[in-house]
Amino acid sequence: MKELAQLLNEMQRVGVIRDYALFGATAQMRYTEPVATLDADVLVAVASADRLDVLGGIYEFCAAKGYRPEGEAIRVGAWPTQFIPAFSPLTQEAMEQAETADFEGVAFRVVRADHLAVIALSVGRAKDLTRILALLESGSVSRDAIKSLAARYDLAEVWQRFESKFLND
Amino acid sequence: MTDLEHMLERQAQWQKSRQSLTWPEKIRMAERVRESVRQLRAQPHPTDLAPDFRIP
Repeated sequence: MKELAQLLNEMQRVGVIRDYALFGATAQMRYTEPVATLDADVLVAVASADRLDVLGGIYEFCAAKGYRPEGEAIRVGAWPTQFIPAFSPLTQEAMEQAETADFEGVAFRVVRADHLAVIALSVGRAKDLTRILALLESGSVSRDAIKSLAARYDLAEVWQRFESKFLND
Repeated sequence: MTDLEHMLERQAQWQKSRQSLTWPEKIRMAERVRESVRQLRAQPHPTDLAPDFRIP
C-alpha cells in the first residue's frame, strides 16, 4: 500500500493526474476494524480529461514503471488497484476534500469517513450498507453528519430509509 | 451473563482491539487474508455443483 501511495504522489507530481484519493474498503480500514477486500480503489482526476481513453495516461505511466494490468486493475505491489475517475459531484467533492494521512511515512490522500458513508449510501449494495454501519460503529462519523451530507446530494430519502431499516429501534 | 452474552462480549472486545490498530497494520492484516478470500470467491457456489438439483 505504501508503494501505491508513492506511485500516486508521483503521478500527481509529474501531472499524469490532477488529484486522487483512496476510497472503498482500504480507505474504510483507516476508521474501522480490518475488512476483507481483494483490491484497492482510487478516485482520480486525470490531467487530460478530454482523451477518449480517460485512464490512458495512467496506464501508460504505470506500464513505463513496470506495473502491469490485471483484469480491470493494475497491480501495484500486493494490491490490484482500480483507478476510477471521480464520476459524480459527490465523488468529486470526496476527492477534493480528502484528508492527507500518513502511511508509514508517506503522504496518502484518503476519502473522509462521512464521504465514504454517503458514497456507500448512493451505491447501496449490501456490502456498502455494512460499510455505513461499520463507520457509525467506529464513531468516525455521526448520523447527523451523514444526514446532512446525504441531503446535499439528493439522498435524504435513501438515508431516511436506511435509518428506519437499520438504526431505529 | 449467559454463555451467549459472554461470547458476544468477547467478540465485541476482539473487534474493538482490531479497530485500535494503526491503519498500516490493518492493511497488512487484510493483505494476509486476501489470498484466502480470493480462493473462496473463486470456488463455485454450492448450488452450481448440482445444477439439476431442485428442492421439490
